Amino acid sequence: MAMISVEGLSKTYRVANKQPGLVGTLRHALRRQTTDVAAVADVSFRIEPGEMVGFLGGNGAGKTTTLKMLSGLIHPSAGRVEVAGHTPQRRQAPFLRQITLVMGQKQQLLWDLPPRDSLRLNAAVYGIDDREAERRIGELAAMLELGDELNRPVRKLSLGERMKAELLAALLHRPAVLFLDEPTLGLDVNAQARVRQFLAEYNQRFGATVLLTSHYMADITALCPRVLLIHQGRLFYDGSLAALSARLAPCREVRLELTTILPASSLERFGTIEALEGRTVRLLIRRDQLTARVGELLAALPVADLEVRDPPIDELIGTLLQQGVIG
Amino acid sequence: MGRYFRTLRRFWGMALASEVEYRFNLLIELVAVVANLASSLFVLSLFFGDGHRLGGWSWPAALVVLGVHQLLDGLTITLLQPNLTRIVSHVQEGTLDFVLLKPIDSQFWLSCRTISPWGLPPMLAGLAVIGWAAQRAGAPADPTTLVIAGLMLLCSAVILYSLWFLIAASSIWFVKIWNATEVLRTLLTAGRYPISAYPPGLRLLLTVVLPIAFLTSVPAEAILGRATASWLVASGALALMCLLISRWFWRFALRSYTSASS
Amino acid sequence: MRRGLRIARVLLSTQYALMLEYRAEIALWSLSGVVPLLMLGLWSQSEAGQALGLGATGLSRYFLAAFVVRQFTVVWVIHAFEEDALQGRLSPLLLQPLQPLWRYVAAHLAEQLTRLPFLAAIVAVVMLVHPQAAWWPSPGALLLTALFTWLGFAVNFLLQTSITMLCFWSERASALDRLLFFPYLALSGLLAPLEAFPPGVRSLALATPFAYQVAIPARLLAGEPVAIGPALAVLGAWLALLLPLCLILWRAGVRRYGAMGA
Repeated sequence: MAMISVEGLSKTYRVANKQPGLVGTLRHALRRQTTDVAAVADVSFRIEPGEMVGFLGGNGAGKTTTLKMLSGLIHPSAGRVEVAGHTPQRRQAPFLRQITLVMGQKQQLLWDLPPRDSLRLNAAVYGIDDREAERRIGELAAMLELGDELNRPVRKLSLGERMKAELLAALLHRPAVLFLDEPTLGLDVNAQARVRQFLAEYNQRFGATVLLTSHYMADITALCPRVLLIHQGRLFYDGSLAALSARLAPCREVRLELTTILPASSLERFGTIEALEGRTVRLLIRRDQLTARVGELLAALPVADLEVRDPPIDELIGTLLQQGVIG
Repeated sequence: MGRYFRTLRRFWGMALASEVEYRFNLLIELVAVVANLASSLFVLSLFFGDGHRLGGWSWPAALVVLGVHQLLDGLTITLLQPNLTRIVSHVQEGTLDFVLLKPIDSQFWLSCRTISPWGLPPMLAGLAVIGWAAQRAGAPADPTTLVIAGLMLLCSAVILYSLWFLIAASSIWFVKIWNATEVLRTLLTAGRYPISAYPPGLRLLLTVVLPIAFLTSVPAEAILGRATASWLVASGALALMCLLISRWFWRFALRSYTSASS
Repeated sequence: MRRGLRIARVLLSTQYALMLEYRAEIALWSLSGVVPLLMLGLWSQSEAGQALGLGATGLSRYFLAAFVVRQFTVVWVIHAFEEDALQGRLSPLLLQPLQPLWRYVAAHLAEQLTRLPFLAAIVAVVMLVHPQAAWWPSPGALLLTALFTWLGFAVNFLLQTSITMLCFWSERASALDRLLFFPYLALSGLLAPLEAFPPGVRSLALATPFAYQVAIPARLLAGEPVAIGPALAVLGAWLALLLPLCLILWRAGVRRYGAMGA
């Protein structure tokens, strides 16, 4: 029996559109015009217990909205959703005890008190007996490498320590389903790695089902064998990450500022052109060919400035759509 | 000087433009003014049943005091609250530094940055009450009285501003007690009643420690044509002193703030 | 049941620890409640006050009791809730198997406990200045005061929470709470003892929740006669109305929160 089962899930918002300026204000006051914006449109998937699934998509793609619908915070406009055998939006106590939602940058720990106080409170709310709670805290703290931080007020912790403490608090009641929304947002590289390691260990040890959204490709590649690709509210891909990566081919984005304007033809041999605007060029170059190509670039072209980074998800999806890989 | 006037117009123009959208707010504010006045009048009237007097003041005369209080309350909502309660958030968010870097006097900036039109209905209501009650109390309506009354009201406004500013500025050290202005606000409700209505101990406190007497009772006396030269001078001197203290205090606070930079 | 008691205990102790972090502000909130003491000054000096027949001692006891009682019936859930909703703290609370409103109740009770030392200090000062007013209520009076204070608090809490829920539909709803403040000032007995009201107004006050937030518990604490039966009946009626209303609005409000995008 699937742990999470979603069918035709949609969420539409009615948004007022108001034109700027005085005329717009008057018109808006007299007769409101609204448009329906679909944050999530007709999404369906099933997730089995113990799976680690990644939700990939750019900003505003609908990942967070979907996650909130799965946890019961937002009511769907259409479709069916069932998590751990319950209807999430009814928010019944047995359901709530089985799930947890962690949102990066938003917190549930009490700000002025040490995490231990919030943990004590959570233990009482979830009905975990104090001794058992202590044991679990010890176990999770060891996995997260948290020690004395639990006794310092939350406002005095660094962002990384705070996130780890949030995770601890969110997992104290050993939920069967974890919803994680951008859990590594804003963390430094080390903290990100630590959190990823922890999540992998947690999934292995306790067999929890994990649904993770991120717009960092690295989070997904490290943790999720299966990905769901969401773009503009629609599900474009549901399958193994390996298969997707193979088709996408791990690329890096190279941004060039040239000293003169060059035609596309002279640039095409170095990589796939993502964008060409006057003297600024963005190329996608495969990782294994990166060093060689960049060397060639610098030798052959009049380069004023060069920057190498991971291509943003939106671009990747755009490329995928173009290539006809998805959609 | 002209620069300051132009800046003021710009500040307040922006604030007004953003508030005009809210027609419903206006309705609420009007209802609030009426409700406020009704409840204050009711409570005050309880002191005057059966031909009683309050502290030697008659009903219309006491109404003048209430009217002055209402006027000052409106001024608080218009100017003092929207501006001075921001000081603590500037300190908390670290944006005070930006204010200090502007080529405009920081006290001016912090005090006049914005204006809330919602204080205007209470101010008008206050003036209306003063007008009606003063006439009922048989106040002389000659120009001298009006000028003196106006001057006394100006002094009250300055004293009120200085009190607010002192408390709000102390948030540079005491960020935690952001609600100190709330305490001031509730204590100032003592100004609804004539100062002579209070027992001697409180009367002293409310004249010397927290000069509420000068805020409402003294201008009310002036409006009723009962001002004496000594009170006039005292009021003016106090207003000037308070303003200077607020200025000095701000300089002191800034010195302490900038030397404790993080 | 055992789980409920444990949650209550831990929730209260956690909230108390939290409130202690804010004791500076809470001290100031306690201080801002001194208005009844100012009114005591006015009433004891006034002709209308003498005419009430309560005597100086009676008035002192009533207003001191009003000061104490008011600290325990004041409700601020609308501000806390709106702040939490704005900061995104509401969503995590909705995902825990505990009705979030209990957290706010615990916060209020914890804050009252934190205020206790400050209000005891203020009471001590007043009794030092007016030793003739000092008294200790009988155990029966204390019990009744506690009962009616908590009932008054409950009604106030439910009323304000209902209004808070309306904010999910319109942010103007908080204006309703502001507007209710004015009849509260007039009718609660904070500014004048019930004896001072004209009979019609007195009956009105006793039919609204307002009189039960200050006047009735204060009279019980001060040892003045109170018609317990009718008081309980009115409170019971208000509770019977507000409790289901509050719960219905809560459920609808959360659904609305979910529909709008949590």
